[in-house]
Amino acid sequence: MNRDMEKDKKLLTIDVSHGTTHDGPGMRTTVFVKGCSLHCLWCQNPESIHVKNEVWWDSSSCIGCGSCAAACPSGAIEMRPDRIHIDREKCRACGACADACPAMAMTRQGQEYDLGTLLQEVLRDRAFYEQFGGGVTCSGGEPLLQADFIAPFFQRLKEEGISTALDTCGHAPRENLEKVLPYTDYILYDMKIFDSEAHRKYTGQTNERILENLLFAADYMRSAEHPMKLWIRTPLIYDATATVENICAIGAFLRENVLDVLERWEMPAFNGVCVSKYEKLERKWAYDGMGAMSRAQVGPLKQAALEHLPEEKVLVSGMIREE
Amino acid sequence: MSDVQLNFIPKFEQSERIRVLEARNQELGTNGMRQFDDYGDHRCWLNIGPFPKMDELPSTKQGFRMSSEQWGEDFRFMMESMEPHIYPCETIVGEVYWEIGLLRPCGTTGWKQAPNADEIEKLMEEAIALGGFPNAYGHTCPDMAIVLQEGYDGILARIRKSLKMYTDLGNETKTSYLRGLEHVCLGCIHYIENYAALAHRLADEAQDESEKERFAGIAACCDNIAHKAPETFYEAVQTVQFAILFDRCTGHGNGYGRMDLYLIDFYRKGIEDGSLTRKAAREMVAEMYMKLRGQYFSFGGRLEDGSDATNEMSWVGLEAYDLVGDYNNLGVMWHPDIDPEYYDYACDVLARHGESTPVLINWDLMHEAELRSGIPAEDAWKVVYSGCQWYCIPGKEWCGHDTSEINEVLPMMRALERAAEKEPEDFDGLYALYEEEFHRTMKAYQAAEAAIDRVRGESQPEMFTSLIAHGPIERGIDIDGPRGVDYQFSSLNILGIPNVADSFTAIHELVYEKKMFTIREVYEACKNDWADNEIMRQRFLNQPKYGNGLSLPDEMFVRVCNSTQQIVESYYNQRGGQPMRPSLFALMSHVEKRAQMGATPDGRHAGEALAHGINPQVGVSKRGLVPLATSAASVDMRKFQGGSIQVDIQPKFFDGKENRLSYIRDFSTAFFKQGGQQINLHIMDLNKLRDAIDHPEKPEYRNLVVRVTGYCARFITLSRDYQEDFVARVNHANMS
Repeated sequence: MNRDMEKDKKLLTIDVSHGTTHDGPGMRTTVFVKGCSLHCLWCQNPESIHVKNEVWWDSSSCIGCGSCAAACPSGAIEMRPDRIHIDREKCRACGACADACPAMAMTRQGQEYDLGTLLQEVLRDRAFYEQFGGGVTCSGGEPLLQADFIAPFFQRLKEEGISTALDTCGHAPRENLEKVLPYTDYILYDMKIFDSEAHRKYTGQTNERILENLLFAADYMRSAEHPMKLWIRTPLIYDATATVENICAIGAFLRENVLDVLERWEMPAFNGVCVSKYEKLERKWAYDGMGAMSRAQVGPLKQAALEHLPEEKVLVSGMIREE
Repeated sequence: MSDVQLNFIPKFEQSERIRVLEARNQELGTNGMRQFDDYGDHRCWLNIGPFPKMDELPSTKQGFRMSSEQWGEDFRFMMESMEPHIYPCETIVGEVYWEIGLLRPCGTTGWKQAPNADEIEKLMEEAIALGGFPNAYGHTCPDMAIVLQEGYDGILARIRKSLKMYTDLGNETKTSYLRGLEHVCLGCIHYIENYAALAHRLADEAQDESEKERFAGIAACCDNIAHKAPETFYEAVQTVQFAILFDRCTGHGNGYGRMDLYLIDFYRKGIEDGSLTRKAAREMVAEMYMKLRGQYFSFGGRLEDGSDATNEMSWVGLEAYDLVGDYNNLGVMWHPDIDPEYYDYACDVLARHGESTPVLINWDLMHEAELRSGIPAEDAWKVVYSGCQWYCIPGKEWCGHDTSEINEVLPMMRALERAAEKEPEDFDGLYALYEEEFHRTMKAYQAAEAAIDRVRGESQPEMFTSLIAHGPIERGIDIDGPRGVDYQFSSLNILGIPNVADSFTAIHELVYEKKMFTIREVYEACKNDWADNEIMRQRFLNQPKYGNGLSLPDEMFVRVCNSTQQIVESYYNQRGGQPMRPSLFALMSHVEKRAQMGATPDGRHAGEALAHGINPQVGVSKRGLVPLATSAASVDMRKFQGGSIQVDIQPKFFDGKENRLSYIRDFSTAFFKQGGQQINLHIMDLNKLRDAIDHPEKPEYRNLVVRVTGYCARFITLSRDYQEDFVARVNHANMS
């Protein structure tokens, strides 16, 4: 693709977050894209799942002026005594309500970036990437679904000498992965559930494609011209992923297939901070009310991981409750 | 985890002696003896009541005159009247009980004694009405090396030589001033002799051998340094302690220079001849900090040849604070070649204590700013952080820092008022009106400052500061008189830049781009404090704001900063005709002025605090620390006399981050490499602060120290307004 054509490409995002320290090494800017190929029950960014525009309503900013309801061409907004209700069936996601809202209580989840603007925004933090040994991460959503933007975006970053990280669930067409890998330094690859049927139950999809893509990526790394690093990430979710059996199965697979290219296996412990996002979307979160995991819950899982991988590669991250 | 600063992890064990001294210091800090208005325990002198000998004061007996000579006589009388006290466990001694401003009018109201005070007052009122406050003193930095190298006898000899010359030449103004300086110098000598005499007496009386030895040591030290230059490290520290007390008796706070440069020779000599250990040196400096309320000392920076200036004293100076963790105001001057171990230690101290000490400053930037102002290279390298966010060349620069101010919101609102009539076609038309109004403010400021400058040297001299500066003795002119020292720019605090930038960004978008409102509607809405216009206010409040790393408001911020610099620098002062320099800072006026400030187009209500210096308006920085830093570093700080960002974070910010030290180091380094000037960093638990407001009696809050603005104070000694302003700041710091 030539560079003139790239100008017209747009990336659909939900957020560009600066100064992040959880999405790869060092301090980073994380670009969260919109649209995902999985629908994980515990999803931390529910606004990132659907490709279509969505609006959400933030009760703490709302002044109750009713500008949104007046502006809605579909009559989807209802002013209730305790809250504003959006009828998601009627809503055509035109964004008229967000434009009308003076208080930024009603906001579009979904912002398009062109390549130049996004590059300009992330390059402002260059001094921080250099000092902290960080860079730029694309997360989501599933970035590989927008590989035609991500590939040239990463390519430009590489030309600027900035480290790139792809945070992927792995459920994407092979050719998309192939487009992005040449410009990727860190692959942050999610392996959630090893049993394919259970995977389907919790995420909506079986995991064969994910495992195949991982093997492909590992092969690519072995012969890549530039140094690449692989971090496997398994979020610890009550019942779903956080079982000794599941961790053992993933551990065994990793040892057998990717140990030579694997730098880290990270298990971020469950956290409930995203519940407010579900409220803003008027959705019920399946994990509402569940707190941080305790040391006693996490301990056996780490132990299970250590049966397969050496200690320096295993990391449990996030908030863990002392007893 | 969250107990940073209430219970810092000690690196050095406190001896029993230091524990006793610290307990006394905390007691004085919390029992009102050091209380200074709303500002907390900010006072250097101990409040034991009014000066008892007002009847015998020279100015009472002679009749008051606006005269530096009489100022010197009064100062001498005050110093000689201070009864010496030596407290248990002390080896560094000296306490003062009054400052000259309590005895005679001086300081920022000194001009009121001038024959033309009515005229000055009128000019002041005009300037204030237009947003200018044209008077200040303090925050310069005398050159401590002068007293350390010459001793008071040496200084006295120079005064007498100069006095003789001007007497012979018949210059009565200068001889009168020099007689005043002679009084000041003699008063200081007398004060130290009083301590020597007391120590001798106590040594004679003491039964206990170790007490006898302690008093004899103090006596020998004071005997020597009352007249001569100090010979040992101990004598040098005591000399610095006395000199700062004397300087503080003028009534202001100054910076006290690069301690690591002026004490290093004494330190090395003591280590080499075996008379000193690092531990002993650390304790002496800690003692001095506690007694002095940790005046602004600085470490690091570069030497004249460009190499790193860090030495053993840089370590000892920081270790002394680390030892006691009490009220302090130190600065570490970073540059890319600073000893990395030392900078790590500075960040470690910050991480463990969490109370914004040391402040981290970009030395190269200060240095370039001084060069840019025309200060020659042979002086510019001496630049030092001198408190709050200022800097200067020790003993050679007097800029009237501290309280001089331009409130940019007023010219902006006047521009809006005019625009409401004229309806300019585009944003640039409005901006041109703003620049015109800014000039109006500056003209009024300049006229009032000049009127004060004409009487400044006689009405509000800073004579002890002049004693240890380069120029006043030889020239017979006070440090704040015209050309008393070489560099005398006027330093002007600029209040409200973020509010102006955010207001203009919103107007640019909503009036001139989207044309949702007219400029008249905006002006009227602000005039009526958005009454019945909440929807409109929300619209303005929710426009992109400076402090979030967003290009639109940041570009406006840079534009406003640059026109500020260009306009301010086009005015000259009366003190040798040197240009004025803007400083991107406000002491506390963002809180103090809020009552009289109307609503602004950034969505701010009337009566709400303005932004502090270049820190975003409280509550609008929502994207975290990095975008905040990027925004602040978007302007070329070499054009300004300082500007700091206030980083107030809660301990939970560090959850999941590998370690606090490296985070602080890397964050500050990246900020400096982007062109940032200064970071004041707190790690504060919000719940603890709230609890401290309600339960100041809890012992754990006695030593809860916060950097209020440019200075620190014990949190529980601040007024409620200031406490709440601080809590709001920490609460809104969206640092996750």
